[in-house]
Amino acid sequence: MTLPPFLRAAAKPLRLMGQDRMAMIGLAVLSLVILMALFAPLLATHDPHSVNEIEEGSVLERGEARWTLRPSLGELALNDAASDAARDLIVGRDGTIWHRPEGGDWTQPERLTEVDLHGVDISPEGRGLIVGAESTILLQNGGDWAAIDAPDPGAELRGVAWYDAQTAFMTGAGEQIWRLDAETGEITQIESPVGRGFPLNSVARDHDGTLLAVGERGLVVRIDPQDDSTELVRLPSSRDFNHIYIAESGAALVVGERGTVLRRDDPDADWESGQAPDTRAMRAGWIGDDGTAIAVGRSGIVLEWNGGDWQVAPTESERHFRAILVRGDEMLALGSDNFVDRLARPSADHWFGTDHIGRDLYSQNVYGSQIALMVGFIAAGLVVLIGTNVGLIAGYFRGRTESVLMRTVDVLYGIPTEPFALILVLLFGPSLLIIILAIALLTWRTVARLIRSQVLSLRERPFVKAARVAGASHLRIMYLHIFPNVLPLVFLELAIITGAAIIAEATLSFLGLGAPQSISWGGILHDARLSGAWRTAWWWNLPPGAFIMLTVMSVFFISRSLEVIANPRLRARE
Amino acid sequence: MSRRNYLIRRVIQAIFSLWVIATILFFLFRLGLPDPTAALITEGLNAEQRAAVRAQFGLEDPLWRQYLLYLWNAVQGDFGLSFANRAPVASVVWERLANTMVLMIPAIVLAYVIGVPLGAWLSWKRGTGTDTGGIALGLMFRSAPPFWTGMIVILVLGVWLSAFPTSGMRTLPYDADGFLDKIFTLDFLHHLILPALVVALFYLGSPLLIMRNTMLEVYGEDFIEMARAKGLPERRILYNHAARNALLPVVTQLAVTIGLAAGGQVAVEGVFSWPGLGREIFRAVGTSDFPLAQASFLVLAAFIITLNLLVDILYTALDPRVTFQ
Amino acid sequence: MTMTRMTTTSSIAFAAALVLPAAAAAQEPVPPVEIYTTTESYDPIRYEGAFIIQEAWEELGLDVTVTPMEFSTLLDRFYSEQDFDATILGWSGRVDRLDPQFFLGTLDSRQAEPGANNPGGYDNPEYDELFDAQAREFDIEARRDIVHEMQELYMPDVPVVVLFHRDEVVAYNNTAFTNMNAMAGEGLYSEWGAMEAEPVGDRTTLRIGGPQEPDNINPLNSTSVWGWKWMRLYYDRLVRLSPEVEPVDWAATDVTAEDDTTIVVTLREGMTFHDGEPVRAEDVAFTFDYYMDSSYSYFDSYLEPVDSVEVTGDHEITFNLTEPSASFATITLSQIPILPEHVWADIEDPQELSPDDIPTVGSGPFVFDRYDRGEFMSITTNPDHFQADEIAVDGVEFLIYADAEGVFTALDTGEVDMTAWRMEPGQIPLAEDNDDLTVVSVPDFGYFHFTFNLRREPFDDVAMRRALTMAMDRERMVNVLLEGRGEVGTSVIAPVNEYWHNPFLERFEFDMEAARAELEEAGYSWDEDGMLVR
Repeated sequence: MTLPPFLRAAAKPLRLMGQDRMAMIGLAVLSLVILMALFAPLLATHDPHSVNEIEEGSVLERGEARWTLRPSLGELALNDAASDAARDLIVGRDGTIWHRPEGGDWTQPERLTEVDLHGVDISPEGRGLIVGAESTILLQNGGDWAAIDAPDPGAELRGVAWYDAQTAFMTGAGEQIWRLDAETGEITQIESPVGRGFPLNSVARDHDGTLLAVGERGLVVRIDPQDDSTELVRLPSSRDFNHIYIAESGAALVVGERGTVLRRDDPDADWESGQAPDTRAMRAGWIGDDGTAIAVGRSGIVLEWNGGDWQVAPTESERHFRAILVRGDEMLALGSDNFVDRLARPSADHWFGTDHIGRDLYSQNVYGSQIALMVGFIAAGLVVLIGTNVGLIAGYFRGRTESVLMRTVDVLYGIPTEPFALILVLLFGPSLLIIILAIALLTWRTVARLIRSQVLSLRERPFVKAARVAGASHLRIMYLHIFPNVLPLVFLELAIITGAAIIAEATLSFLGLGAPQSISWGGILHDARLSGAWRTAWWWNLPPGAFIMLTVMSVFFISRSLEVIANPRLRARE
Repeated sequence: MSRRNYLIRRVIQAIFSLWVIATILFFLFRLGLPDPTAALITEGLNAEQRAAVRAQFGLEDPLWRQYLLYLWNAVQGDFGLSFANRAPVASVVWERLANTMVLMIPAIVLAYVIGVPLGAWLSWKRGTGTDTGGIALGLMFRSAPPFWTGMIVILVLGVWLSAFPTSGMRTLPYDADGFLDKIFTLDFLHHLILPALVVALFYLGSPLLIMRNTMLEVYGEDFIEMARAKGLPERRILYNHAARNALLPVVTQLAVTIGLAAGGQVAVEGVFSWPGLGREIFRAVGTSDFPLAQASFLVLAAFIITLNLLVDILYTALDPRVTFQ
Repeated sequence: MTMTRMTTTSSIAFAAALVLPAAAAAQEPVPPVEIYTTTESYDPIRYEGAFIIQEAWEELGLDVTVTPMEFSTLLDRFYSEQDFDATILGWSGRVDRLDPQFFLGTLDSRQAEPGANNPGGYDNPEYDELFDAQAREFDIEARRDIVHEMQELYMPDVPVVVLFHRDEVVAYNNTAFTNMNAMAGEGLYSEWGAMEAEPVGDRTTLRIGGPQEPDNINPLNSTSVWGWKWMRLYYDRLVRLSPEVEPVDWAATDVTAEDDTTIVVTLREGMTFHDGEPVRAEDVAFTFDYYMDSSYSYFDSYLEPVDSVEVTGDHEITFNLTEPSASFATITLSQIPILPEHVWADIEDPQELSPDDIPTVGSGPFVFDRYDRGEFMSITTNPDHFQADEIAVDGVEFLIYADAEGVFTALDTGEVDMTAWRMEPGQIPLAEDNDDLTVVSVPDFGYFHFTFNLRREPFDDVAMRRALTMAMDRERMVNVLLEGRGEVGTSVIAPVNEYWHNPFLERFEFDMEAARAELEEAGYSWDEDGMLVR
């Protein structure tokens, strides 16, 4: 069976290429990249767009120089803690309760409830009381916990404080203030002076026997347990308050959103608004009888006060801390609800680490191959298609046609490539199509010139003249007789331009002109640079560039072998 | 056709190209880019106040009039005032082009100084492992996006080892009068090394491969055979006969590369915060600064067209095989 | 939930009940919506934020596209053409915007025409009336009440969602300078910064690094905040705003309102311009007249209330206003520089001055030295200024870098002492690790907003807007995108602007259930594909 001339011409270069080691390596690498692009969804370990977040029962301990992370307590966030001489209690999400007897280890009693627990306090006689969502109230009788029925089952209770051995107060997200009689289990609802449903997040017993509840929008309510009367208190801030802590001595600390730290040094002093050196949310505070204070909050922020200004303590942690536990010299910050696993180094879970908003970089790199190859191949195909045809037509017909076409090519040669592509994308908005066009629109000029000059000599060759004499049509001569002879050159250009187009796409994406929400290698590098983190996060920087390099190199390796085919003189004496 | 007529025709063509590009640019920008006074909204200017600014920019005139005025002024080398800072555009463009060139020319020269002899040497070692390795290395540098190489180089040499400054052309502030005074300093050289190295590595592959391939072609020519027949030493044949004849395509490529690089490496300029022309175009287009964008692009185009013209003339002068068709 | 919320919801439910039978008969899909936002390179936060909104809205059953745009195109589309469904943009917090006038004006229906500041087209006559009332109210307490009422009035209608306020995180080198105080909306590069900084190192010249530079330093041509941030250091104003944003006398020693529309200003005696000429009342009057006569429009809104300016004494200038203006003393007098008449009087067309010919003679605490475009600018301390004894630095140099990256490197290596512009999130931990650097986080009262086009379906429906606002996880934007360094927005008057902000406003916390309920109440339902229909 004889192959048509077109295929015969194509078969020869392929056969020759098979003998070139470099080309084979190139082909192998390119095939791997193509497979990666095709099977990206299977190969990726994560959704490349999704922000990876972690929740855990984080424990951060204050050390000599800095706060350091201890092994975490389970996988659920810890919300509040309380302690007395005998033991410590921690409560958290999904009914988490941790218990530690003096000098012992942390243990978890049997899970009593699935709802989130927000507050815990221990009475002067050592009775624990826990409150949480869905009006959950757990009271300790001896060693056992018992649930207490609430009058309104839907309340989200956030704060709890014992007043005396049998009376406790609870506050809730709907401005609830409830009084619990521990003997009878009876709950009295107390009217808040505002009554607009503003959350009251925390409550504490003050030195004078009243209780102070703090909440959002700077809301502070003083509750008098004698007659259940309430009174609005003005603090020098109208921020959302998250937590109040009052020490034995009467020193008190209120912390809240936006770095709010309000200190009262002794029972008679005024509340002072501290200049916090950070503006993130503070979630819990603690003040000692000696006047030192600590506040913890979002994104690993720990503030310390030792007279003078509040200082940021170094923590090296992204976790959100919600509670403080102090026992003697031991000082623990507890957390953490979902925190973004940002800028994580490569690990078993994230092979190439994560980026600044916790997206998996390995998966991004895998998906990045799709755009690179797609743009590379389509743009190169387009360039060769236009260039070859223009070259063929100009070279074959000559005369006026050639003149017009080649003058156009001349004009194109005067246009600076990269700035022009930039302008096109800026003008028409970044989309895959525009990017491909921006790359292809100028590049075909080279192909047109090359093909034309070959055609110019080919058209004078005997076999073309013979075909013309035999009465073959122009189209037939051009595409069946001349074209197969320029095919090696076409393949060569195809390979070179694929490589160049991949780099061009990467460059455009790196400059921020990639198609929105698409993932490309250049785009990953763009993000890295934009975030400012690339100077430390080498795992973010290295892989995309290495992938681009490997892919382009594989194409160039193939092209080199094609070059030898297109230009047999290079084979001389090899 | 005589050489003179050929030259005249080429010059006319060049001017024609320039006019076409200037026209395309003008309309592309006017019709495609947003109102340059849009950014003033965030400064609190209302529609009426912005119209006053537009009038000041000459944008309230009919389009054809703006076009003719633009062409007329451009012919006289007057590109107007930048919308952004009311500075004469021409001076800004020249300065930026000069900044780009003081980076690109040393880099490209470096690439050719290393690449050409290396390519000749590889051709000599053709078919050996050295040859393959050399080619692979050249292709590797050509394959790595230079902005990435730049980031890596900054990371290692600039940040980790603190051996080089990582951005800009010089340490600020400085005392200098005029451009030459600014660039002939050790401080400038210190700033130049990293970006120039990165650009040089990227362009290294071209001269290397072209030189090697041309040499291989030249080896097949009769005069080499004759030299061999005369019993000249191979080394002498390589450098005195073959290399000299192989240089022409390399020189051509050099000119083309310089033309490309002039507007080229926007991303490299970005990575090294180099105040070059490419970045100026990027910024000007982004803020609809028509006069600046047009002028920078036109100057670049003129530069490239001139280089192409020079290459053609060089070719006709040096290569007797080229005829004036 | 708040009271306002309840009343509105119930009235909507009532309205919905009336139209329900007809609506149930012919249910039509809710039209698809397009969200315009900035490109990722311009602002990754607003870019990613749009996709967070898209995700939740799609969950609600809305067909949502996000279209990132080049910044100028976006502004053009939004302001000039008003051709948008919904757009994410922002207002920067310049110190003169601490006065509520500007931000409240963005919801005034008379600003709804193309090119003006209310492209969403919110139209509430009651609001407009209050806006005029507060603008004329001289009594600050009474004005505050009106301003609070306005916030409460527009909030349930959500014509615009204040997405968040982003903290400006800046840093300075504590081994070089001390007493560096940040100012809301201005960061460290405030007009007081250079006057307060005290050197502790060898260098007594304060070095500021920034990626931005003035568009030009022509006081009759600069239309960018970066021009004025620099020029205000060498031009005096009659009044300056203190770090607490109270007007303090500066070149004026007294500002008295004779009546609602007559303001008498007494000029400080003994001041001189940098060229040695005395500063006279005539110079002040000249400057105001010069600005009012010129086509320079940057100050137009400040000068709007001014009818005429007269010299009424040796050191006395009287301003006659066309109508009472609450912000005249704070804003107008604190923003207009004093230009020397003898330098400017003969300049016919000041806007056409070439950069080399621009006069730089002021009377301010610093004297202009040089400006090399794209590289650096410098000023030296003016020993003859009335404030000279308070100033510890010898001068200020502003080094211009190509991008934030360059600025950070310079700060890290001690080349500059402070940043003029916020650091990128990735640079903050690096700065915190460097013991020489003190990181300062300054809350902003500028804001990023999400504006609905109230002229278009489905955003013409208040219930839809309310539901969609509840379906915006702004908390997440702050926590994930801003790394906690910012604040979820409430009203256009930011919480940090404590005097004017009304803290008791409806908050629209993220709650998909509540969003669905709101829609259901308004007569929306979902088809079998889960898409919203009405």
